[in-house]
Amino acid sequence: MSAQKFPALLLGAALAFLTAFFLIPMTVVLVASLQDKAGGLSIAQYARVLADSYHLAVVLTTFRISIFTTLLCVALAYPLAWYLVRIVRWRWWRRACVILLVIPLFTSNIVRSFGWIVLLGRNGLVNDAAVALGLADRPMRILGTETAILVGMVYVLLPLAVLGIGNALLKVDRALESASDDLGATPLRTFLHITFPLTLPGVVASAVMVFTLATSAYVTPALLSGGRVTVLSMLIFQQYSATFDFSFGGALSIVLLALTLILVGVASRFGKVRT
Amino acid sequence: MPQPLLSLQGITKSFGSAPALREINLEIAHGEFVALLGPSGCGKTTLLRSIAGFVTPDSGRIQIDGVDMVGSPPHLRPLNTVFQHYALFPHMTVAQNAAYGPLRAGLSKREAETKAIEALAMVDMARFSERYPRELSGGQQQRVALARAVVNRPKLLLLDEPLSALDMKLRKRMQLELKQLQSSLGITFLFVTHDQEEAMAMADRIVLMNEGRIEQVGTGPQLYMQPRTRFAAEFIGEANFFDFRRSGGAIELNGGLATVATHAPDLPDRGLAVLRPEFLRLADASELSLEGCRFSATPLETLRLGSHDILYVQAQGHTMSVRLPGNRLPAHLPDQVELVFDPANLHLLCQEP
Repeated sequence: MSAQKFPALLLGAALAFLTAFFLIPMTVVLVASLQDKAGGLSIAQYARVLADSYHLAVVLTTFRISIFTTLLCVALAYPLAWYLVRIVRWRWWRRACVILLVIPLFTSNIVRSFGWIVLLGRNGLVNDAAVALGLADRPMRILGTETAILVGMVYVLLPLAVLGIGNALLKVDRALESASDDLGATPLRTFLHITFPLTLPGVVASAVMVFTLATSAYVTPALLSGGRVTVLSMLIFQQYSATFDFSFGGALSIVLLALTLILVGVASRFGKVRT
Repeated sequence: MPQPLLSLQGITKSFGSAPALREINLEIAHGEFVALLGPSGCGKTTLLRSIAGFVTPDSGRIQIDGVDMVGSPPHLRPLNTVFQHYALFPHMTVAQNAAYGPLRAGLSKREAETKAIEALAMVDMARFSERYPRELSGGQQQRVALARAVVNRPKLLLLDEPLSALDMKLRKRMQLELKQLQSSLGITFLFVTHDQEEAMAMADRIVLMNEGRIEQVGTGPQLYMQPRTRFAAEFIGEANFFDFRRSGGAIELNGGLATVATHAPDLPDRGLAVLRPEFLRLADASELSLEGCRFSATPLETLRLGSHDILYVQAQGHTMSVRLPGNRLPAHLPDQVELVFDPANLHLLCQEP
């Protein structure tokens, strides 16, 4: 095989894979979403998503949970990443922390979500503690609320944000911080003017990743919602598995995809930092 | 001496068990241009970083204008630094980089901008003020780093190997410009370099360091003509060394290679003598009568460099170099040449053989 044909072949394989398992299914979903019951062209399915208050509420719930998940993840991940990259001195301890961070990613999402069901349940650890400390008179209902879903999502996605932001922090040239210090900036100003702007692209990339995973998450919201909260992915699953309404399921999928892409596009504009 | 600008007293610093600085004492006057010169690992950068505040010495005092500095963070010290790789902020334009100091000093955005442009104009970079650092060449980045560091008119400017990343031609030009800038600003410059030629070219005074100690302090010519140690003689310029032994009113080099009369009263009986290559020359016929400071040697190799020639010779088992004015050597050298030197140019080291 010639040296020139080999890369073309690799590229061809990748293209064939993407076409077969991504492009064609996407087209099928898109076509289905634009069909009415009789098979004619129609945008009635989209009207159903956006005009119906219940469906619109599901869309809003999905994006509300996703946005809060993203904000919380970034807010929690930045200090954690800072600790790992800047404060930890012993290499073995840093390694141990990274392993602790990564190990949950190797565990099934279902198992981890069930863990939260146990913790957040009426007789779970959280409620027992709250009652014992006098923070609540009687056990609160946490499971089946958006809060429960939020907790589960942040837990699942936080490691990814920590790794992304940590990587961005690692790449910041410490001499730039020294230069800022030397030019009269207090540590806080150095962080605000130098360190944070330089890590912003990494922060935005992590946020985008967390956000897209959060909007499309199924297992965590399904298990922690207790049937009381519905997000888009659950609604889509229902269309395909229970009601067999492929047209409406397709329309929901396309709406989810479109809104996610729009929000990601907006977020990426903030991440454009010249380096 | 009036109060020095910078006073270092007994600075020591170790990293783990490795001592980086041992008992450094040094005073620098207002307006001086001083070089910290030494091989890599001699502690010069650690000393600079201690003065800037990035390294805390284990013991000793650092005073600027009589004010104790140890323990105060870098942003509170009345000095600025030009970093080795410039450390320009990549996400800011040239103008924003230069305005960073004035802004942190509490100036309004407008005043800071004015000062930034002034400083950039000083190094001829004002027209690049809207560019980003990565759009500049190394020499231009160097100028911006310089402008950014002097914009607040610090009492002391520290330069960490400021020219090491530039090519030779540019380096020579920047040496001259740095010197001019220093005299026009009147700011005290303390710069670190491992390049003895650069130190000689720019500094009023050179602090030669070796293994965490100050080896010798003096002007360039002093260090060159009167090195105190073998290290100093070897590090600055080329040197031929001879063992000497005193016998009566004369000293004998390398066991009889040459004999020189001396009047120095407190010479040790044995020691090391230094003779710079340019103080050796080929004897012509009229000088054959000179006794003592003439000897014959075997030519080994000739380097014809245009402005001057270097001749390597061997005499009684010792190799030495002779620097001669350019284009005067005959095309073919005889098997033996006669070399002479002026005894006044022979420098005896006070310590050690």
